[in-house]
Amino acid sequence: MARERSAPFACPGIPGAWFICMFKADFLTGLALLLVSALVLIESWRMPRLEHLKVHPLSVPGIVPAFLAVVLLIFGLVLVRRSIRAGGYRIGFNRDDLRRVLAQPGNQRLLMTAVLTIGYAGVLIGNAPYWLATGIFIFLFIVAFEWRRGMAGREFRRMGLVAGILATIITAAVALAFERLFLVTLP
Amino acid sequence: MDVLLDNLGLFLGAITGFLTPLALFHILWSALLGIVIGALPGLTATMGVALITTLTYKLPPELAIIILICVYVGAIYGGSRTAILLNIPGTPANAATTLDGFPLAKQGLAGRAMGVATTGSVLGSVIGIFFLATLAPILGNYALKFQSFEFFWLAIFGIVISGHLTALDDPIKGWIAGFLGLMTAMVGQEGIHAYERFTYGTTELLGGFALIPAMVGAFGFAEVLSVMRNPQAEMADNPKDSVIPKLADIMRYWRTIIRSGLIGTIIGIIPGVGEDIGAWVSYAAARRKSKEREKFGKGSMEGLMAAETGNNAVVPGAIIPVLTLAIPGSAPAAVLLAAMFIHGIRPGPMIMVESPQFVYQVVAMVFFATLAILIYGLALTKPLLKVLAIPRTRLLPVVFVLCTIGSYAITNRIFDIWVMIGFGIAGYILRQMKYPMAPLVLGIILGDLLDKNLRRGLVLTDGDLTPFFTRPICLVLWLVTLSSILMSIDPFRNALQRAVRVVWPGARRDAG
Repeated sequence: MARERSAPFACPGIPGAWFICMFKADFLTGLALLLVSALVLIESWRMPRLEHLKVHPLSVPGIVPAFLAVVLLIFGLVLVRRSIRAGGYRIGFNRDDLRRVLAQPGNQRLLMTAVLTIGYAGVLIGNAPYWLATGIFIFLFIVAFEWRRGMAGREFRRMGLVAGILATIITAAVALAFERLFLVTLP
Repeated sequence: MDVLLDNLGLFLGAITGFLTPLALFHILWSALLGIVIGALPGLTATMGVALITTLTYKLPPELAIIILICVYVGAIYGGSRTAILLNIPGTPANAATTLDGFPLAKQGLAGRAMGVATTGSVLGSVIGIFFLATLAPILGNYALKFQSFEFFWLAIFGIVISGHLTALDDPIKGWIAGFLGLMTAMVGQEGIHAYERFTYGTTELLGGFALIPAMVGAFGFAEVLSVMRNPQAEMADNPKDSVIPKLADIMRYWRTIIRSGLIGTIIGIIPGVGEDIGAWVSYAAARRKSKEREKFGKGSMEGLMAAETGNNAVVPGAIIPVLTLAIPGSAPAAVLLAAMFIHGIRPGPMIMVESPQFVYQVVAMVFFATLAILIYGLALTKPLLKVLAIPRTRLLPVVFVLCTIGSYAITNRIFDIWVMIGFGIAGYILRQMKYPMAPLVLGIILGDLLDKNLRRGLVLTDGDLTPFFTRPICLVLWLVTLSSILMSIDPFRNALQRAVRVVWPGARRDAG
């Protein structure tokens, strides 16, 4: 059954790319919308009515979030109903699918980009001096994406040198521009 | 007549006001930067305007806004280069340009195609400028009649129409994006009783999610992820023919130019729709009316002209609601609106009362930006092509460094960097699932307007909903909104088509 499921619902033409299969994505998005809407409705209900301030009951803070939550709840129901009709809820994925997805060069580049960018902006910035964090990020980004398996030593050194020079120049230019020209206290 | 002369005087005053060496210097570098941003695959007009906004905090308002408008106009034009030579749109606004631009380049007509793109972009902007100068004051005065009821419907109308037009295949996704944007705007201290909604004790969330980091994330970081995932594009041969536009092309396609300029301006005025839809609708209209329909998609100069005229005409069109209603007509216009607020300019219905000269200053700004793209389009073709050769592995880390420092620089908060990352990841995932970004951004901007005006309206009428549906402008807005929703529901649309065929038997079976 695990293999058979791929027949009518497995994203024709996009082997292994389970995560962009719209029916499945719509099913999951629909469920997420239902959950978020329900939570917002509960939160809106719990918001103060401000009776002690004698405010008009229709001007209370929870009324608009509740209205929006109801609209999103309806959209969520439509998405879930539609994807169930299309069989999207039955699509699953296993370790082999995941391996195939990760083996695609585009997805590998995406993953690498996400790790480098989030590592830089989310971890290094604020915890290391700005110039050091930025220099390391630019250097690593260039080297990580321009390095090729079997690259000659001389070519590798040249690439490293170019990455180092670019990292230094760009870091200096950005840091100076923001600190001196735009008077920003760098993180 | 006196009003017309007064307005002309204000416009000429604005033009001469910008004829200073400093203003001209800013116009020249920012328009060039805009063209480069537009030409570089992966850098969009919205991202460019958002990033450059972070560099203009310390500048006087007029200079800051003219820089942003030059970047905006330049980027929409610059994207045509990439569309023609690489077959990938430099910005989403140039997607329709690839259909005929790249086939023309393959036929060895890249230079002429770029000339036609320049002509179309400039004439599209000129048509849009005419309507910006004439319609903005009229709409501004008309907007003074708007009360809470109208503003509530305007917000809903904007979200529904923007959601529909930016996700024509599946409008519900556009609406979901729009309402998610509205919901996002609910975070923070609300504007009537100052109650902190959904902040959970976090002081950083008191003011809600800042728009610029959110936009930089949704359009910048998401784009970095997207470009790195896609394979590197291959460039067509460098143009060997002349890029100077031919007068014959203008004379031959004058109807297409005017039609596309009008369509682009109208699409621009509709909240949150934007340049890409302007180009597609203009292209489709040109194809329908063309005598050489068979050439479309295979290298039609008329198709290219329509797409490029349409997308650039959207720019002045999108600024009309920014100035008169404080509602953006497109995603880059949303950043422009945010930048105006940052610089202490208060666009909206009161603008024609408080500072009518600013409206004409903006008209002059778009005029100068258009002149700049004309000059660069004719004079700097070959050097601009070198920009396309910059490897993305060296360009995108710089873009991300600017996304990070730009988000941080507004209020010097690390929290805003996390907002940028969060919106970037969410934006990337939503885009992969075909949710358009423009309604989401529009929702974030319109959330406060909807919140305050729905509650105010309900208080004014003591809960009576009648004025929301019976006031003339409200009536038009909710009827159009409802029609847009009903027309996207298959059983309703089919029933309507059947009814039309019963009443009018000659109607085409595929009508509707």
